[in-house]
Amino acid sequence: MTDAAPVVRLPRERAQGAPARLALRWSAGPVLGLAGLGGLFAAWFVGTDLLPPAGSLIRQFSPVAALASLPDLVRNEDLLTHVAVSLTRVLVGLLIAIVAGVPLGLAVGSWRPLDTATAPALQLLRMTSPLSWMPIAVMIFGLGDRAIYVLLGFAGTWPVALSTAAGVHALDPRWIMLGRSLAATRREMLMRIVLPGVLGHVLTGIRLAIGIAWIVLVPCEMLGVSAGLGYLILNTRDSLAYSELMAVVLVIGFTGFALDAAARGLLGLWRGR
Amino acid sequence: MCDACLGRRDLLRRVAALSAATLPLARAGAAEAPLRIGYLPITDATPLLVAHGKGLFEAEGVAVDRPVLLRSWAQLIEAFIADQVDVVHLLSPMTIWARYGAHVPGRVVAWNHVDGSALTVAPSVSGVRDLAGSTVAVPFWYSIHNVVVQALLRASGLVPVIRGSGTLAANEVRLVVMAPPDMPPALASGRLGGYIVAEPFNAVAETLGIGKVLRFTGDVWKRHACCVVFMHERDLAGRPDWSQRVVNAIVKAQLYTRAHRAEVASLLSREDAHRYTPQPVSVLDRVLAPPAGAAAMYEQDGAIQHADWHEQRIDFQPFPYPGYTEELVRRLRETEIDADKGFLTALDPAFVARDLVDDRFVRAAIAANGGMGAFGLADAFARTEMFAA
Repeated sequence: MTDAAPVVRLPRERAQGAPARLALRWSAGPVLGLAGLGGLFAAWFVGTDLLPPAGSLIRQFSPVAALASLPDLVRNEDLLTHVAVSLTRVLVGLLIAIVAGVPLGLAVGSWRPLDTATAPALQLLRMTSPLSWMPIAVMIFGLGDRAIYVLLGFAGTWPVALSTAAGVHALDPRWIMLGRSLAATRREMLMRIVLPGVLGHVLTGIRLAIGIAWIVLVPCEMLGVSAGLGYLILNTRDSLAYSELMAVVLVIGFTGFALDAAARGLLGLWRGR
Repeated sequence: MCDACLGRRDLLRRVAALSAATLPLARAGAAEAPLRIGYLPITDATPLLVAHGKGLFEAEGVAVDRPVLLRSWAQLIEAFIADQVDVVHLLSPMTIWARYGAHVPGRVVAWNHVDGSALTVAPSVSGVRDLAGSTVAVPFWYSIHNVVVQALLRASGLVPVIRGSGTLAANEVRLVVMAPPDMPPALASGRLGGYIVAEPFNAVAETLGIGKVLRFTGDVWKRHACCVVFMHERDLAGRPDWSQRVVNAIVKAQLYTRAHRAEVASLLSREDAHRYTPQPVSVLDRVLAPPAGAAAMYEQDGAIQHADWHEQRIDFQPFPYPGYTEELVRRLRETEIDADKGFLTALDPAFVARDLVDDRFVRAAIAANGGMGAFGLADAFARTEMFAA
């Protein structure tokens, strides 16, 4: 993306191919998607209910048993509270990722020496699992929510920063020249040209960050908390309640799906404006 | 390309704002702060949870936070080192490693519980010798479980192997460290020949019918400490009165548990409003309040070979016998551990018994609560260690 050919492509033009794709999405899209989900459930059913011998522990992972234990989870475990707690953690982590990642991406993207100087370090940080920072996070931020926020924020900062930097690189140089020739101030350059120009990339970065934060959430909720979907997963694992574990897996999957759909909707809204 | 968009000063300002926002808040007024407990959701945590759940800390005038649930021994000790908790239950060998291997300034103030662990094996295994060529899981290298299982294997002419992925000789048994909740499914899938771990994961395997108890650890090392209560040296030296009251509450919780086993099983279970552990009461009952005929059954199938020791599946007594600590140091030296254990060779067992353990508080607490007799023990602060693999 950094070496994009100098063809003028305004953001709005990107949406031009969209009507055709949209048509497909609204007709065959949901049907195909549901078929894919159905296939997944069928494979799950075959793998847990049909193939293992009777009495095998694997049978407890069955989708039938998982769905059957869902009502119990809602009633006894207060599932919705756990969902709300986890969503809050992910959103706070995301906020940290945006607050840290966007300025970092802007700085790195707009100042070449900084880019060159920080690229290896950023790649190094990006490639280390946020979970390996757990002991440090606990030592600095303590047990509980603050350490989780920081770990989730840490995990999400890199995709946001790298996407933002890529967005800055992809800015059309002629916009910048136009701004300069009109004697725009730094503030005007930032607010009128750079930020609107990189917003799509930022949203893409946020979408990636959501995925990562949602994945990192489960192990993060080991850190001395008493609610959350990850906490629930660990509890069901500690008590070997595998049908409940799979039910929570389903809830995590669908909540993550909804979260991503929301981010995608936001992205679509911006592209289609 | 766009040097103009963001000035260096802007950037600096932003970075400064960011780091200010994430600076840790200092813990103010540590002396008045409520007691912070760290625990794992296993029966090892019983005295700490009972002291909290039955209000025994408050009764001693100690303000207390809700105990913090952690998920692994490593996290528990990390939280202790990071000064996020004031009191934890740690496996007794872990405390030796922590104080002399990792130089953690903490001391053992009391025993947390005795026995309460077992070697669980696949239903097809009928003796330790049958484990030859298989893999056995332990919860932590520095654990009483690792010490006991290696002694059991050696007594049956088997060789414990802790490294390498090559094929095992006919008389070898590979030991691996595993998180306790992963042990039962690994046993069920045939990946493990057995595992040795704290309750309730042995009771869980029995309940699910995927394994059986081959031997209780308390039947190998009579009334051994499994977990001990570990506190910061700073607190013991700096606020002895507060430390005394903390230990008082824990000793009272042990007495309470001995007298109300069924009630405690229910207090710790997922069915209770405190939600201390995710275990169902049926499993905890098996450990804390087993039915009357259970011991006879285990004596018959060999899980209990020393019926004359009259050991409970899990029991509670607080006094840290020096002889046990010394024996543990000696036995740890002979135990294979996949970590640097060089510090052990230089350790004098008698010194460890004096230096690691601070028994001032527990002696006073026992005296104030009816003496050793209240725990069904002889009124002496010494005993002979009985170890019979």
